[in-house]
Amino acid sequence: MYIQPEIIVVVTAFAVLGMEMFLPLRHRVLQTPVSLLGLATALAAVVYLMIQGEGKFLDGQFLFDGVAGWFKVSFLLAGLLTVLLSADLLNGRFKVMEGQDRVLIHRGEFYTVVLFNLVGSMFLISATNLINLYVCLELATIPLFALVAWRRSDPLSCEAGLKYIILGATSSAVVLFGLGLLYGLSGSVDLLTMGDNLSFGPATKLAIAMVVVGVGFKLTLVPFHMWAADVYRGAPLPVAAYLSVASKAAGLAFMFQLFYRVLGNVLLDVSMALAVLAAVTMTLGNLVAVVQSNVKRFMAFSAISQAGYLIMGFLARSGAPSMVYYMLVYVVTNMVVFGVLVFYLNETGREEIEDYRGLARTNPWIALVMMLGLFSLAGIPPLSGFVGKFFLFSVASKAGFHWLVAVAAVNSTVSLYYYLRIVRQMYIEPGFDDDPPIRASASIVTALAISTVLMVVLGIVPFFYETIYEQTHQWIAVAEIR
Amino acid sequence: MSWLSLLILIPFATALAVVATPDTKWYARRWIALFGTGVVLALSLVMSVSYMQAVLDRGGDPSVLTISQLEFEQSIPWFKSMGIEYHVGVDGIAMAMIVLTAIIIFTGVLASWEVKDRSREFYAFLLVLVTGVFGVFISVDLFLFFLFYEVAVLPMYLLIGVWGTGRKEYSAMKLTLMLMVGSALVLVGMLALYHAAGSQTFDLNKLAMVDYPRDLQRWVFPCVFVGFGVLGALFPFHTWSPDGHASAPTAVSMLHAGVLMKLGGYGVLRVAVYLMPEGAKQWALFFLVLTTINIVYGAYAAIRQTDLKYFTAYSSVSHCGFVLFGLCSLNLMGFKGAVIQMFSHGIMTGLFFGLIGMVYGRSKTRDLTKMGGLSKRIPWLATSFYIAGLASLGLPGLSGFVAESTVFLGGFFGNRWVDATTMRVCTLLATSSIVVTAVYVLRGLSRVFQGPLTKPEFKQLRDATIPEKLCTGILVATLAVVGMYPPVLIDLIEHAILPIANRF
Repeated sequence: MYIQPEIIVVVTAFAVLGMEMFLPLRHRVLQTPVSLLGLATALAAVVYLMIQGEGKFLDGQFLFDGVAGWFKVSFLLAGLLTVLLSADLLNGRFKVMEGQDRVLIHRGEFYTVVLFNLVGSMFLISATNLINLYVCLELATIPLFALVAWRRSDPLSCEAGLKYIILGATSSAVVLFGLGLLYGLSGSVDLLTMGDNLSFGPATKLAIAMVVVGVGFKLTLVPFHMWAADVYRGAPLPVAAYLSVASKAAGLAFMFQLFYRVLGNVLLDVSMALAVLAAVTMTLGNLVAVVQSNVKRFMAFSAISQAGYLIMGFLARSGAPSMVYYMLVYVVTNMVVFGVLVFYLNETGREEIEDYRGLARTNPWIALVMMLGLFSLAGIPPLSGFVGKFFLFSVASKAGFHWLVAVAAVNSTVSLYYYLRIVRQMYIEPGFDDDPPIRASASIVTALAISTVLMVVLGIVPFFYETIYEQTHQWIAVAEIR
Repeated sequence: MSWLSLLILIPFATALAVVATPDTKWYARRWIALFGTGVVLALSLVMSVSYMQAVLDRGGDPSVLTISQLEFEQSIPWFKSMGIEYHVGVDGIAMAMIVLTAIIIFTGVLASWEVKDRSREFYAFLLVLVTGVFGVFISVDLFLFFLFYEVAVLPMYLLIGVWGTGRKEYSAMKLTLMLMVGSALVLVGMLALYHAAGSQTFDLNKLAMVDYPRDLQRWVFPCVFVGFGVLGALFPFHTWSPDGHASAPTAVSMLHAGVLMKLGGYGVLRVAVYLMPEGAKQWALFFLVLTTINIVYGAYAAIRQTDLKYFTAYSSVSHCGFVLFGLCSLNLMGFKGAVIQMFSHGIMTGLFFGLIGMVYGRSKTRDLTKMGGLSKRIPWLATSFYIAGLASLGLPGLSGFVAESTVFLGGFFGNRWVDATTMRVCTLLATSSIVVTAVYVLRGLSRVFQGPLTKPEFKQLRDATIPEKLCTGILVATLAVVGMYPPVLIDLIEHAILPIANRF
């Protein structure tokens, strides 16, 4: 049975929903530990299955293999950390400043939606059938529309939700068109056999373009990134955190399924286009991030540039392990930074970059964690962000795209500039005069501790990358034989 | 575990110990830092003696060496699939640089004895920086080398930004970004070499055995040279250096000019010149001219400065030019001179910046024109300052002379890839900087220390305290020892330079 993790998550989702219906209000705090327990169990199940080796489930419609396992670990980690980060808002432990409304209600529903979204992503990376793949992609997208617009009374949140739903639906349509073309060209819906029947022609090119446009929307590749800043800004912060990692991981999973399983033979023919896309994405994301003053918008553009680095891995077939590894690294690193953002917003109600001044004095530990997180995003050794980027750059260099490596390396310097802007506020600028020391709640501390430790460990302990490397290489080899 | 790992573990552990001290005990932190760096200094001296012993024992004919022979080697596989190893080991050049670093950080802690403001973070960042510097010098694996290189550069941002003076945020950001662009160039070159070698290894000695295509070397060499050159204050990428030094607190200036800028020269020697001899030959003329400008321009710019720190910073640009100039002459003498100059300039400029900090702490001004007659009040500091100045203008008997004369000899020897006349003209121009240096050093020093006291408040000045005397004493003694008995340094580095020189 290789479906246990998904079953556990679904059961948890229903359990949480049931508690919402039957428990009195004061007992509903239990929903948080129940969700956490469910996700942790699912994570354990995934790890157990990864040790077991690969297998099929649901009549061969879904496949659990090494890559699927690592993606599921990323998804579940993102879910786990999101649940922890949103606990304070749902408990009402936050400070409301004038003109702001950050209340989140309906804890049970909130968690249920997150969990269902996770299930969609988890099935997505296992799907071996075009129909399933598309359904899972939708399941991994539609709950997010609801999450983004969760604060119904807040116009910003509603606007974000609306923007996201319209663009999301359009991108889905484009993807569907691309998939339809692929089906027409190959005459099969089975991902494992589709690739054999495809040849590289104008129609395939169009299909690839359509798929890339659609996935580009999820991955926030330029020029399909337009929604990101507004949606991040409007969404409740824990949702923005979840969006930045889980949605991106789902997009990458989708691209993995199509590029490696179906389009493997033609991947190298489009590498130049991908390289240009990567270069444009990281450069534009970085340049716009420089001028942001709001941390949420800032993180949105930072996420855009990171997507640019990420797809460098597609330039060579051997790039798969680097991408899987970087995804994992990105999930934990981004959660570190978002964890601090959630903490600071909850405790002080501030969310502008210059509001972070003096954090090193009001809470030195959180400031240190934030600094490490930002450095990891900027790719400073020995944090995992550096190692991850190094491997991605190495893929591009191996594929002969030296100019892209140069662009990417200069871009990470630019990104260092704006990450340092926050460090400067925290460490150098004088703080607010009357700020007392700020304490973090237990859930935030837990989330930050888990993600920080993982962020450091992933970069130093070779075990993770080596395992990913081994399993992913087997995976590519298998995909090639088919 | 290799002894070398201790060199990075001790500073890091000391940093952790500093962080763990209670809030009220700021004075405990400086003792912890002093103890930690003292242990490192002792360790580095013991290791260099043992290194010399090992080299003597090995015997054989050194002139046929093709790769650097390493001592205290240790290698642990790290990211196996990429061929990345935790591979450490030292040759004489690295050993000399390690001793230099150990001396500078020990005296640097002494020079920042009175830092009370946020002392916990100050010492912690300082020690992390030193961890990175040691890491670079002991790395044999290029990946590790690059990793530590960045670890060494980044704490500088906070050290200047928080504890600096003047336009500190601007300087800190400029410095960090310029150095990071440099390291981006290095990264591109490094990955290109790695994939061109195709042997799945980042081991410097193994990479050196690969014969890279000429075309590859033609574009990778300048990338790496300029990438590291930024940190070595290569003209015209030196502009971060005066601003950075002027804004940095004393110990940081010492470390930065004394050690960090050496990472640039060291990187050029280890990665650019050692791995890509063909590229070096093709670009020798270009960089020779650039480094000549470095030397001459730096010296002339220093004449015009009225701020003591800018003054020293430009003189550093000029003196670091000697390092790169020596490397560009592509012969044994030039390389040797470059390494001696790295060591000598490190000590000399460390002394300079330490003293400037001490004088500034007393007089509250760094403006040359507002000082005068200070030697009557602070004879110890004045004497040390004069010694540093004399070393920098190359007075025989102090280490600057040995270094500069070796570099010039290297320049006059010339090589087969640059026209002999051009080479001599460049060397001659570089030599002329000695006169300019004499002018600015002597004029600057006489303005500060001679003549009548210009301000009444200078009458209350006190001479060096005990930590300050210890700090300057150690540095002056090192200058003199190397100057009077150069073999102590040359014997150490000679064997390590041969395999590099043998490639040309």
